[in-house]
Amino acid sequence: MQPNLNRRSFLTATAAGVSLNGWLGQLAAAAPAGQRPKSCILLWMAGGPSHIDTFDPKPEAPADIRGEFQAIETSVPGIRISEHFPRFAKLMQHAAILRGMSTLESDHKLATYHLHTGYQNRAGAVSFPSLGALVAKELGQREVALPNFITIGRGPQEALTSGFLGPEQQPLTVNDPVRGFDFVEPAGPAEQFARQVELLQGFDAAFHSRYQSAAAETHHSSIERAVRLMNSRQKEAFDLSKEPAGIREQYGPPATAAARPAPGVKISAGERPGSFGQGCLMARRLVEAGVPFIEVVMGDGVGWDTHRDNFPRVRALSQECDMAMAALVTDLKSRGLLDSTLVVWMGEFSRTPQCTGGGRNHWSRAWSSVLIGGGIKGGQVVGKTDRDGASVVERPISVPDFLATVCTILGVDYKRKNRPPGVPRPISLVDTTREIKLLTELL
Amino acid sequence: MVRIQLSTSASARLLLLARVWISLVVCMTAGGVRAHAADAEELARLIDTQIETRLASEGIRPAQPAEDAEFLRRIHLDLHGTVPSRERARQFLTDTTSDKRARLIESLLADARYGQHLADLWQGYLISPLADDATKRGDLLRKWLADQFNAKPWNEIATALLTATGKIEDNPAVTYLIEGRLPRTVPDLTDLASRYLLGVRLNCAQCHDHPFVNFKQEEFWGMAAFFTQIQTPKRAKQVYEKGVVDDPTLTLATLRDAAAIDGFMPRPPTFLGGKALPADAKATPNRVVLAEWLTTPGNPWFARAMVNRTWWRLMGRAIVQPVDDMHEANAPSHPQLLELLTRRFTESGFDLKFLTRAIVSSRAYQRTSRPTEPGEVADKQAALFGRMAIKVLSAGQLYDSLETVCGPATKVTGIDARQGTRWEFTQFFGDSGDPEPTAYRRGIPHLLRQMNSGQFAGRNLDGLVSRLSAADAKSPEATVSELFLAILSRPPSDSELRQAKSYLERVGPPNSGLRELAWVLLMTSEFSLNH
Repeated sequence: MQPNLNRRSFLTATAAGVSLNGWLGQLAAAAPAGQRPKSCILLWMAGGPSHIDTFDPKPEAPADIRGEFQAIETSVPGIRISEHFPRFAKLMQHAAILRGMSTLESDHKLATYHLHTGYQNRAGAVSFPSLGALVAKELGQREVALPNFITIGRGPQEALTSGFLGPEQQPLTVNDPVRGFDFVEPAGPAEQFARQVELLQGFDAAFHSRYQSAAAETHHSSIERAVRLMNSRQKEAFDLSKEPAGIREQYGPPATAAARPAPGVKISAGERPGSFGQGCLMARRLVEAGVPFIEVVMGDGVGWDTHRDNFPRVRALSQECDMAMAALVTDLKSRGLLDSTLVVWMGEFSRTPQCTGGGRNHWSRAWSSVLIGGGIKGGQVVGKTDRDGASVVERPISVPDFLATVCTILGVDYKRKNRPPGVPRPISLVDTTREIKLLTELL
Repeated sequence: MVRIQLSTSASARLLLLARVWISLVVCMTAGGVRAHAADAEELARLIDTQIETRLASEGIRPAQPAEDAEFLRRIHLDLHGTVPSRERARQFLTDTTSDKRARLIESLLADARYGQHLADLWQGYLISPLADDATKRGDLLRKWLADQFNAKPWNEIATALLTATGKIEDNPAVTYLIEGRLPRTVPDLTDLASRYLLGVRLNCAQCHDHPFVNFKQEEFWGMAAFFTQIQTPKRAKQVYEKGVVDDPTLTLATLRDAAAIDGFMPRPPTFLGGKALPADAKATPNRVVLAEWLTTPGNPWFARAMVNRTWWRLMGRAIVQPVDDMHEANAPSHPQLLELLTRRFTESGFDLKFLTRAIVSSRAYQRTSRPTEPGEVADKQAALFGRMAIKVLSAGQLYDSLETVCGPATKVTGIDARQGTRWEFTQFFGDSGDPEPTAYRRGIPHLLRQMNSGQFAGRNLDGLVSRLSAADAKSPEATVSELFLAILSRPPSDSELRQAKSYLERVGPPNSGLRELAWVLLMTSEFSLNH
């Protein structure tokens, strides 16, 4: 919170009696010229996808570990991935697969929290911010009317928080990209909204002159920022109907026509095949509008948590993911945005090498994540697991190593410290209490 | 008043003493509320002497007493977690008797909503936001806590929580020990108990000696050792089937995956401050011994922690800030006041209603939050409790106030109501942990939803407006006044009335105008704050 700044903006807006049009009607400026600041799109694979069935296939392992899928060649000789990522395989030159992920939590919520914040949840006094909020704070631009951190799809709320960074970095959530953002339009006609806000301005100014409260200033400044967004052209980024049909289809079939899972596989009510692709498309539109961090969630409900029916589920999920991810990378590339946009693919952990009862269980000791674009040296694999994919034998990557690398790629100093209110010590963006091993081969 | 000192003798004797103590307390509370009310009144005066002496010594004048409307809205939000209904507001504001504030305090404390509001707060402290299916289990716990806070002293509630065993449906107190499908970890429980029951942050000492404070790593693990006997079944289902059971053979040394825990140190159970577990207490479950130690009247942390937390939530600022970081190097702003309240709270038999009654009856609580002094003096006046702090409505207070104003929530598009509307709302608008009561922490996402969702606009307002205009055919002035009373619990100022009237004329149809006006009042800073 910056009370002084807020106080100033509040007072100039009210004392000068700035006209409604002056206050509300300002269209936010377009992205500034010059070198493009970096953005990040995190593709969050909720539930934890198996590394063996996606980006670390084990054709040499016994059948109950190897699973049902074949490995295919990619555009980079020697790098092989699951057959259900055929489109992405052709884009491997832009990507790095990190096969040495080795993390500490194997409960969904605890691991999701750990991977997002970089800290293990100990229910301590410190409420840690999510990666998106950390990056939003460092890279957010004041002239952009949109929030700096936007999440798409029903995500893990407890991990998608600005924590001690406060309201400015709190993520805006778009539950369903096909429907768009729900509350960006007023409930009534625009003219009515405008006159209501004008009256509100007057009432709030009177309260403020009586009570001089910092909390009232922040409340009012949050209203101003929300109204500014409602009146900005940039909110069109939420409206996918503005996108040509051809592009929309590349990202994935519309929800109704989406591939259904194999017969007998129950999909829970929350899951809507097809919406992940449209979420990726919205993410691209938001990057163009200047938003530094967007998280797209895949796998609401059961998602990649395939304790049962592992193969039919992972096949369907992989195909949907492949189409969306390949369209996103291709689209970013063709618009000249791939070098300034880092795409991260990861879940909270992976799944056991061993299949039991047609499913795979939680496994955090060895797994894979993928980084694409953002100016990294693509076309490589970092780290290695053993024959069965059970443990990391080369280049283990901890959560802090991983997040510090992501920050460095984005041009953010991961050692920079925040000073949370009420906490007697500064807290670095990424936990540096243990030595950080940056993945320098990507930089 | 009988005083019992913490004895170093056998725990059996301690237990006996505790029983005597409890029966004394029971007699006292049964003896009559009247005596208690007088005691609280006396304590309120002592609070004021402390605060005002200090203000005088610093040459600062306290602020004026709060107007009735300010006090009315504040006390409802603080004790019941919601703004008052229009009827209650009107009743209080038109009452001309001199003891109406005292009577309002009594009636709010006697109402079941008092316990419900405290339960709401404590559920937030006890259940981690990472817990699974928080609604169903959370509701059981909330109801249990509400009953406790309405009827029991704090030592009994804390004991019931600390020593809880059994299945959730039989004893909802165990809920916080089980985090979804997993039992809560030993370090996590140690941290939780130390922050909320002792008012100290031991967790900094989990991995190393606390750098600024006199807590050693071994002290953290000494306290952690009290929580190891809670059985940790290997499979999720067993947690629900068996509930929480103590197994005396479990110690820190037998803790599963201990090597993976940061800073792990196998220590025997040792009370904070260094006293070891008495040898003859070995047969009693460790958590029971811990609860006995904690709630003995001489315990230096237990009563202080609750006093500081209660003062914090009512006054907006703790006597020791942050509220759960009480240690030697962190001096209280008013040491004698803290000492006084701790002693009286202990002597009352840890009667939280008594403590609350005393604080809210004080002149300190009943001052306006409106500053009359310039800049630095105003800051100092607030820091010394010479003026009331302006607090921010918590997510629960915001939701419950909306319901008070508009009636029960309607189903709203675009909101994930799978989890129950109130729960979903508080998750969205809420803060985890202990947010400072005065910090406003809502940004664009919250305000967009507040301005544009059906929860604050649309059909919900129709009900309110039709109730107002159906009452009888009134003048526009009277209807506007009723609207202000319903939403802001006060009549409009002359200027507000003028603006509102000209607004209604501009809009045309009276009901549309009133609905638009209602929205404006719900969006004001004033509605979102407790001033």
